[in-house]
Amino acid sequence: MNGSRLIQSLGLGAVVAFFLVSFTPLPNVLNRWAGVPSQLEPAEAIVVLAAGMDEHGELSDRSLQRAIHGIVLFQRGFAPLLVFSGPVQRQAGVDEAGVRAEMARLFGVPPLALLTVATALTTREEALHTAKLLQPRGVTRILLVTSYDHMRRSRLLFEKAGFQVQPAAVDDLSEAKKPESRLQLMRQLAQEFCARTYYRLAGYL
Amino acid sequence: MEPAFILMIVSLTSLALLLLGVKGLHLTRAGLGLVLRKVCESIGLTLVVFLVNLAIGILVILAWRSLTGRFVSLYITSDSTVLILSLLQALSFQAWREGSRHHHRPESGGCT
Repeated sequence: MNGSRLIQSLGLGAVVAFFLVSFTPLPNVLNRWAGVPSQLEPAEAIVVLAAGMDEHGELSDRSLQRAIHGIVLFQRGFAPLLVFSGPVQRQAGVDEAGVRAEMARLFGVPPLALLTVATALTTREEALHTAKLLQPRGVTRILLVTSYDHMRRSRLLFEKAGFQVQPAAVDDLSEAKKPESRLQLMRQLAQEFCARTYYRLAGYL
Repeated sequence: MEPAFILMIVSLTSLALLLLGVKGLHLTRAGLGLVLRKVCESIGLTLVVFLVNLAIGILVILAWRSLTGRFVSLYITSDSTVLILSLLQALSFQAWREGSRHHHRPESGGCT
């Protein structure tokens, strides 16, 4: 097969993949296969992972979703501590964790029940820095709040850091039905697949 | 409902274009096959350029992290614009290659 034929076959494959991803439930099937179902049971702390904040200090949709899920779990009495993670946004001059903690206060979470981790920049660092914060307090059993597709890698990292992890995924019931949403979901899955591959190669998992 | 509606609209306009080509402009079926192969080639080339852009982006970020000790997120390489720019790169490269082929083709000596 010459170079031109190979490139043509690659292109044809990409077109077929585009139709499969956009117009069939394939991304939803892959999402269910790649994620980890929630296991909601009482724990010693609820840990909410970061998901980004813009330069104006506004939380991303995912960050907001995760924060609200953490607050709801706290209000339902699943744990006495609520930990928010999220680094400093230089332009905004605030940290994601602090903004979410402030939001939790407004929703009635007592300040003494709130802890923040604003120093972690990656999921791996979130696991390590949270361990430094919580393990001296005797916390080992946590409810981990993150997105469904991010849960498998996060859970492994937190378990490696010494926690007993109960997954509390944010969007495990979401099903992408519109072609654009399916493409978006596929992009997230591809991103997470690359991240897992990188973490495996780097020896983090 | 929405996926079926989109596919129906695109199928109808594709059919209309096919009729316009065959009946109105008297284009050949062989020409269509050739063009579809060219389209696949453009898409394949876009994919290759995209993967190269992605790989270089990741390598540059990892090198930057290890050399400066400053954190830059790998997620910036997943911006949608990288794919669109890769498409522009691939189309330009392909057009350039095609243009050069025509340019270098020896002049015909006329009918024999």
